Amino acid sequence: MMATKFDTRTEGDLSLDHLVDRPWVTIVWDDPVNLMGYVTHVFIKLFGFSKERAHELMMQVHVEGRAVVSSGSREEMERDVQRLHEHGLWATLQRDDKI
Amino acid sequence: MSNFEKVGGSFSLELTLDEAHILINLAEQLLELLGEGDFFHHYDTSDPLAQLLAMPSEIVTPEDPVLLRLLPNAYADPEAASDFRRYTEPALRSSKQRNLRIIREELAILVDGDHGGIIENLDGDIWLTALNDLRIALSVRLEINEGSFEKFELMPDSEPEKSVHAVYFWLGWLQGNLLDNL
Repeated sequence: MMATKFDTRTEGDLSLDHLVDRPWVTIVWDDPVNLMGYVTHVFIKLFGFSKERAHELMMQVHVEGRAVVSSGSREEMERDVQRLHEHGLWATLQRDDKI
Repeated sequence: MSNFEKVGGSFSLELTLDEAHILINLAEQLLELLGEGDFFHHYDTSDPLAQLLAMPSEIVTPEDPVLLRLLPNAYADPEAASDFRRYTEPALRSSKQRNLRIIREELAILVDGDHGGIIENLDGDIWLTALNDLRIALSVRLEINEGSFEKFELMPDSEPEKSVHAVYFWLGWLQGNLLDNL
C-alpha cells in the first residue's frame, strides 16, 4: 500500500497539482515550560481564536504533544512560525501530512 | 508578595529590592547571551541603513541550548531551517532584546534607587513575553521537566540548586499573576 503512494504510474486521484497545492501547516509542540494560560493567550493574540478554540488547541498541544494551529501558503506559515517564536512557543512548519 | 495590577491600559508591579535585583540580573544575562553589546547605539536599529554593517555575515544554528530553544529551527529539514534562520533570526533576536531592554530600564528605577516599590506604566505583553523568555532560558539550564516541581519541593534547603529552582518557580508564579490580571 505504501509503495503506491508516490508511484506516478498509478492511476488515481493523486495528481501533481494536488501535491503542489497541498497547503503548509504550522505546528506547535509541547514543552514543559510555557504556562497553559500563556499558550492560550498567545493563540488568541496571534490568530484571533475564540477563548474556547484557543483553549482546545492548547489542550491538544498539552495532551497529544502537538497541534496544527494554522494552514496556508508557505510564506504565511513562515510568518506564523516567526511570530510564535517571538512569543517563545516552539513551532515548526511543514507540508500538510494529509494527502 | 509581588503583584501585578491593571491600571487603565497598563500595569503596575510591586517588587522588593531583592526581587528587582533577581529580575534585572537575569534580564542582563540573557541580553548578553543574545549578543547585546555593552555600548550605547546612536543609530536607530530599525533603520534599514543600520542593517548594512551591523548584520552578521554568517548566521548559524546556535550551539548553546538556551539560544537554540529561544531561536529554534523552523523546519525539520536542516537546509530549509538554516535558510529560514539566515533571513529571520536577526529580527527574532532584536524582538527579544527589545523586550528585555524595556523591562531592564523599568527595573533599573528600583535597582538604581536601591529600594523596593512599585513600577508603573508597564506594557503587559512585553512583560509576559520577557518573563517567558527568562523562564525558558532558566528551564534549559535547570533541565526542567514535568516532574521538576515535585523534585524541588523535596529538595533539602542545603541543596545548592534549590535557590535557583526557587527563582524559576517564582518567575512562573509572577507570569501567572500577570496573566490572571490581563
